[in-house]
Amino acid sequence: MSIPLYGFLEGDTLGVLVLAEEGETVQELARRLQDAASIRVARNDEIDFVYNGEAIEPGLTVAQAGLQALDRFDVTGKR
Amino acid sequence: MLNREEWLPLARKLDWDYSYVREDEVFPELISGHPWLPHSEWKEWEESFKTSYREYVDNQYEKDMAVYAVRDAVGRLENIQKLAAPWINSLKVHAAALPLAEFTGVIGSLRGARFGRDSAWRTMSTFGALDEYRHTQIPLLLFHQLVRWDAQFDWAHKFYHTNNWFAVASRHFFDELTLGQNAIEFAIGTNFVLETGFTNLQFVGLASLARESSDHMFERMVTSIQTDEARHAQIGHPVLTVLMKHDPDYVQYLLDKWFWRSWRLFSILTGLSTDYLTALDQRPYSFKEFMEEWIIDQFLRTLDEFGLKKPWYWDIVEDELDIYHHMIYASAYTYRATLWFDFVIPSPAERKWLRQKYPKYWDDMDAVWEQVIERWRTTGPGAANELAVHATAMPAFCALCQLPLSAGTPRKNTANVLVREGRKYIFCSQPCRWIFLREPERYANHKDLVKRVLAGEAPAQLPNLLTEYFRLTPETWGKDVYNGAYDWLAAQKASTT
Repeated sequence: MSIPLYGFLEGDTLGVLVLAEEGETVQELARRLQDAASIRVARNDEIDFVYNGEAIEPGLTVAQAGLQALDRFDVTGKR
Repeated sequence: MLNREEWLPLARKLDWDYSYVREDEVFPELISGHPWLPHSEWKEWEESFKTSYREYVDNQYEKDMAVYAVRDAVGRLENIQKLAAPWINSLKVHAAALPLAEFTGVIGSLRGARFGRDSAWRTMSTFGALDEYRHTQIPLLLFHQLVRWDAQFDWAHKFYHTNNWFAVASRHFFDELTLGQNAIEFAIGTNFVLETGFTNLQFVGLASLARESSDHMFERMVTSIQTDEARHAQIGHPVLTVLMKHDPDYVQYLLDKWFWRSWRLFSILTGLSTDYLTALDQRPYSFKEFMEEWIIDQFLRTLDEFGLKKPWYWDIVEDELDIYHHMIYASAYTYRATLWFDFVIPSPAERKWLRQKYPKYWDDMDAVWEQVIERWRTTGPGAANELAVHATAMPAFCALCQLPLSAGTPRKNTANVLVREGRKYIFCSQPCRWIFLREPERYANHKDLVKRVLAGEAPAQLPNLLTEYFRLTPETWGKDVYNGAYDWLAAQKASTT
């Protein structure tokens, strides 16, 4: 089932809606957010997926990371 | 026959004691506003601009004739067509946002004309309603002739009747500020904060921009409107004086709420026009310089005069002066087909000017423009490539102001999520969240655009959203003014090949 989330990419000028799949990894979700914002933000291969203020292990799925509908997540440069 | 000074008090002060009804039945708190006070507390209400109906009509007639004369001399289609293309798009922004918003001011003023607590207040509000009706009609009249030349000008009529995202945000603001407001909150929110704090001075600034852009018709129009605003904005001061004696905390709340809400909308309208849609050599100042000189200083002096404090979020406003309208403009450029006017990319010279005026965050904004430009370099210019240089993901909107989540900086967006009674809301900023939490019953059931899409009430696919929900067409949706064909971009490309 798709989960609507608010995605914020570091360097971008607005947040966008991203429909995530429970089984996709947060790394895949981060890449999709980068693609969605690619007109405004240059691609960065060294990134963190940040949820509730903490960097999430890239291999975890959206469900494993505990993301719920209409939560905020951030994709930032590697800290 | 009475002379003017003898007649005015008689005509303005017409209150009497009620015999058959109670005063609170004539002026219910729900519609007259809080705090409810007996008329004895309002009887000293005095406006600084006193006028009779005859004087009012004579003055307005003269002003209307002056507008018509300028229209006939320099406001013909051929005159408008000579203006710089970016400025014409600034006109389209104001042509849509202004006239029917002014019409909501008619309704709000008429509420003051009936439910204001003193007859002098009601008299002034009657003139205010006539003013606002004039401010609706003049721009509709002047812009109408342009529709046959450019269909985007049709949005002067159409804008507020659509579910375009900026129209949703503007309605959310004006529905509360003017259409559905009680007489006291209207006087504070509209007359004191919006008109004294923003529109009166903003129109002075707009007239100056129009003059620099050689747009004498628009200059005359906003100057004519501004002289009305300066008069009826004075309604707010005596209302504020009475309220400060009885409930200063409530006054401070109304001030904090309406300054923020007004700032949100007007920073976009004025910021975009000043820093992007006016030609570089015709910009008399940056938006930040204009705000600091004409709005902020004056507003703070007025607060001091009334014993009010700066809004608690003042440091956020000061920070946003450097960045918010830039975030919005860059976002909107990449979603320009969702709007009814065209955009330009700032040229290298303009980016240099913006860096000089906004050194605090411009590096981050410049990186965004570089990326947008790179996309045009890749696709090449041309109308056929417009949508290839356009975002496709659904933008997200604030649950309070209904504007894109573009607050903070590119490095740190300040959007924040609230869970309340099992429902989630996202806000662009702490002040929007604070306003929502002060009156959740007022705001909680309004669906922002994302929630309408998720509920199946609006199309999820961008092309359908544009045409079916925003009421745009390929002819009217926003584009790059030059379809990416900039001389400086071609020159850069030539020098690298």
